[in-house]
Amino acid sequence: MASMNMIQALNNALDEKLAQDPDVLTFGEDVGYFGGVFRVTDKLQEKHGVTRCFDTPISEGGIVAAAIGMGAYGLRPVAEIQFADYILPAFDQLVSEAARLRYRSNGEFWSPITVRSPYGGGIFGGQTHSQSPEAIFAHITGLKTVIPSNPHDAKGLLISAIEEDDPVIVLEPKRIYNGPFDGRHDHALKTWSGHPKAEVPEGLYRVPLGQADLVREGSEVTVLAYGTMVHVALAGIDESEVDAELIDLRSIVPLDIDAIVGSVRKTGRCVILHEASRFGGFGGELTALVQERCFDYLKAPIDRVAGWDTPYPHAFEWDYFPGPGRLAKALRRAMEY
Amino acid sequence: MNKPRLELHVPTPPARPGGQASFKHLEIPPAGAVRRPDSACDESEIRDLPYALIRVLDDEGRAVGPWDPALTPDRMRKGLRAMMLTRTFDDRLFRTHRQGKTSFYMKSTGEEAIGAAQSLALVTGDMCFPTYRVMSWLHARDYPLDLMVNQIFSNEKDPLKGRQLPILFSARDYDFYSLSGNVGSRFGHAVGWAMASAYKHDDKIALAYIGEGTTAEGDFHEALTFASVYRPPCILCVTNNQWAISSFAGIAGGEMTTFAAKALAYGLPGLRVDGNDFLAVTAATQWAADRARTNRGATLIEFFTYRASGHSTSDDPTKYRPADEAGYWPLGDPIERLRQHLILQGEWSEAQHEALAAEIDDAVRLAVKEGEAVGTLGKSKPSVSEMFKCVFKEPDWRVIEQRRELGI
Amino acid sequence: MGLYQFRLPDIGEGVAEAEIVAWHVQPGDEVKEDQSLVDVMTDKATVDMTSPVDGKIIAVHGAVGEMLAVGGVLVELEVEGEGNVSDAAPAGPPAAAPTLPTPSPSTTPEPVPEPAMAPAARTAAFAARKIGQAPLAAPATRRRAHELGIALQYVPGTGPGGRITPGDLDAYIASGGAAGPSGDSRYAARPEVNETRIIGMRRKIAERMQETKRRVPHIGYVEECDLTQLEALRSDLNANREDGQPKLTLLPFFIRALTRALPDFPQINAHFDDDDGILTEFAGVHVGIATQTSSGLMVPVVRHAETLDLWACADELARLSAAARDGSATRDELSGSTITITSLGTLGGISSTPIINRPEVAIIGPNKVTERPVVQGSFIAVRKMMNLSSSFDHRIVDGYDAARFVQQVKRLLEHPALLFMD
Repeated sequence: MASMNMIQALNNALDEKLAQDPDVLTFGEDVGYFGGVFRVTDKLQEKHGVTRCFDTPISEGGIVAAAIGMGAYGLRPVAEIQFADYILPAFDQLVSEAARLRYRSNGEFWSPITVRSPYGGGIFGGQTHSQSPEAIFAHITGLKTVIPSNPHDAKGLLISAIEEDDPVIVLEPKRIYNGPFDGRHDHALKTWSGHPKAEVPEGLYRVPLGQADLVREGSEVTVLAYGTMVHVALAGIDESEVDAELIDLRSIVPLDIDAIVGSVRKTGRCVILHEASRFGGFGGELTALVQERCFDYLKAPIDRVAGWDTPYPHAFEWDYFPGPGRLAKALRRAMEY
Repeated sequence: MNKPRLELHVPTPPARPGGQASFKHLEIPPAGAVRRPDSACDESEIRDLPYALIRVLDDEGRAVGPWDPALTPDRMRKGLRAMMLTRTFDDRLFRTHRQGKTSFYMKSTGEEAIGAAQSLALVTGDMCFPTYRVMSWLHARDYPLDLMVNQIFSNEKDPLKGRQLPILFSARDYDFYSLSGNVGSRFGHAVGWAMASAYKHDDKIALAYIGEGTTAEGDFHEALTFASVYRPPCILCVTNNQWAISSFAGIAGGEMTTFAAKALAYGLPGLRVDGNDFLAVTAATQWAADRARTNRGATLIEFFTYRASGHSTSDDPTKYRPADEAGYWPLGDPIERLRQHLILQGEWSEAQHEALAAEIDDAVRLAVKEGEAVGTLGKSKPSVSEMFKCVFKEPDWRVIEQRRELGI
Repeated sequence: MGLYQFRLPDIGEGVAEAEIVAWHVQPGDEVKEDQSLVDVMTDKATVDMTSPVDGKIIAVHGAVGEMLAVGGVLVELEVEGEGNVSDAAPAGPPAAAPTLPTPSPSTTPEPVPEPAMAPAARTAAFAARKIGQAPLAAPATRRRAHELGIALQYVPGTGPGGRITPGDLDAYIASGGAAGPSGDSRYAARPEVNETRIIGMRRKIAERMQETKRRVPHIGYVEECDLTQLEALRSDLNANREDGQPKLTLLPFFIRALTRALPDFPQINAHFDDDDGILTEFAGVHVGIATQTSSGLMVPVVRHAETLDLWACADELARLSAAARDGSATRDELSGSTITITSLGTLGGISSTPIINRPEVAIIGPNKVTERPVVQGSFIAVRKMMNLSSSFDHRIVDGYDAARFVQQVKRLLEHPALLFMD
């Protein structure tokens, strides 16, 4: 067991898999010698060799196409897209090819690739470094998407993703690479040091895809969140003094529907929290699912606390970023219905 | 000084419907004129080859020049058979569309030499990343005709379980990568596959096809960049058949330069080859394969050919080009030319040819009949449960629930 | 100091008991002689019982509405000197404190406990649910209502827009399903049940009516009378009356007709004591006038109506009516009628079935006067018509006699000159 921040945990996952499975390799822009702009692949080239961890041209489409070809051959490539904001050039490869290959070839070919990418805001990164595209991928049948909220889950989910025979997108909330962040931007920065979820076991372990985590048990409202918003949710719940149950989805696809339904049927109320803008966001799918399966139990409308329907702004970072205050308000609103 | 005002140039083909078809603007060098460098040579030594045209068969059917692959008659007869089978199969299955038995078909008339020659030139384990106009690859390896027919009819015995449009095939055991209708997006997969082969210290190579029109896609250039950077063992083929649906090659940049010349920008060797010449295709492929297998990386080959058919069953080429244009193609018909060559060699006869044609015709007829017996589109389809399979390796709760909802 | 017991005296007409109507004192009060102690009621007269002595109230007996037997102790006073407890008055039964029957506990289902909610005052004003609007409720509330078999349209909602909150559902269940104020829906269920003890005047009336109907076999007879001439006369008399002369209603004319007709039918102007089997025929005509007061039906009596001309009769009627209405009519003025007239005046219909004022044997019920087309010869004329209803004690009055009597009355009314002729 070691105390790690999320970057170290991800690095450790890659390190372990590179060591364990010769078919695993990782590449991306500045990933090789430099170790990645966020240091997630730090020292991996040095340790495992230049063909195990290397730099690519600035060509997201090319990166993912090459990964798919490698996967078709039989390798387990882990491609890094430097910022999730840049994943769009690879969208066609992910949607038209990776997601479809098994289905259209009746299982003759498949795409066991992992595409990992830092995502999300709270860093004054503006529109090109802060976006959350999980909803776009959630909609594509054939793709899996996972989002860790802490170092322990980051390592376990990345290992699971690499071992999946299906294409998995791992969105890493960059705001919490170095420490948990609850949205209180005026408070001192925290590190992961001392946090229970920063205790990362040595060696290989898996956090299964499709399994949510119960972060806080409660009786009055269910809060669904993932990534940085899990920490924001804890702060928001405290502030509201509502006895809320917090579920960290961890896995967008496959989704742990049983955890969600079980919780909302118990509490009768549901508030969804995500950074991505509200309209057409993943919260919409969650709302539909909760409504379909928990309708008779609902005591209040399902609410979504999300980014505004604007491109991600710069100066207005904290006006855009859904903070604990907005969640607290929503929780109280749900209780007062 | 008065400058002329700016004008936007829009390329137009030499002839339109009703006009006089002509390929006089094309420079067709004689067969055997191009030198054959060693496959191990430096790319810088062959920067002229993308502008040349490698030909082996001359206009009389003789094999000439340094690129002659010296194929055995058996090999050539095998190739001829593959090409004839492709054409007959195409004709018959195209007609089934007109008979309402399927929704779609695409012929590769005039281009049969490319897939057939390359399929026979490479070895088992070398992976082909095809377009939809290289079914000749499968015919050259005797892919079961009835399976192909079933896929085209999307019937109960479709090996792809009714999930794909006709012709968008997959056949891993025949080294035929899964086809999709998106053009160009698999070009880079070949590069990645080849990278993996090199990574694993394997000896297998990849071969990918892309149409000249599709070389405009970013996928093409991204793949070439990766091929240039990592030098994977692959053969990247541009089948320049002059037409991309209704857009002639000029719309993809063919007016200013050849497609083989695109290799120059990436530091890759580029060969420009008569695509209707079975021998030249074989020779160029072998050269590129040798190069790839010796860690010298990728080669871009432009196969200069003509799309004698329409784009697909949905296309009528008489709407955008002279109806008789195919007849004006200066490099003739691949089946005709190989047949002529074999006969010239004394390794074939008209009678044999006719007999083979009849045999192939019977085989195709039989396959179609068998397919029709299983069923045609709309009359037979695999179990609806197949619609829900293979989304992921294991089904997730969504498809399980939805199957239940559908009662299957 | 002595104890004085004030017992309920016989306050008239041989009644054995009286009903306590209202107390004016309570234990501890100092009272003076003649000071009002309590109102009690016999038949339809309420009598004020005054204190016979000075003293201090020690105890009062009898709750409002309770019957106290004559001779029963009403009030106990502490007095100077000796009291009267040694009096040999027959001790009435001590008035027991009344015990109102307690309503049986309604069987309501245990309301499902609502988990503790964060207290939040709803400050926004809301609109009640509108007529015809489907009830609003959160899904969880709907499900609970459905499981309990409660139709939500009967549940009042206090949430925004009239939404039924979980608390509203709880309240509805706890109230046993009574619909509360939910806006003025014309079609809302009305499950209210109101229990009142019938006491006082209303009880007297109820008992009398019951007794009459039980004992007296009524026959009814209705005849239509053409009052055109009478109304013309009345109108003329009223138009030309002198100062001091009262306005004439139809009643004086009806009374006059009765006094003219009754002598020929002495058995109709009588009392029948059916216990002793004695019919008492009266020569004098004392007409009871059924009068609606705020306390209910009272019947003041026009004594010796045969002595009154129209105006005197009208005056007397007005006086009696006022006295009855303001409660000042005496017991004598409210009793002794030999025949009764009952009229609803402007509320009258075309016929009625009056109940005899026992122990009388007849009651006359004029109905409304309306203009109707009437065949006269071979023409149709518009005449002022009135149906005269009547009921008779069929033990004493045969149908034949009843009919002859009414026909005589009719003749007098239709030819009013006959009222004033010998």
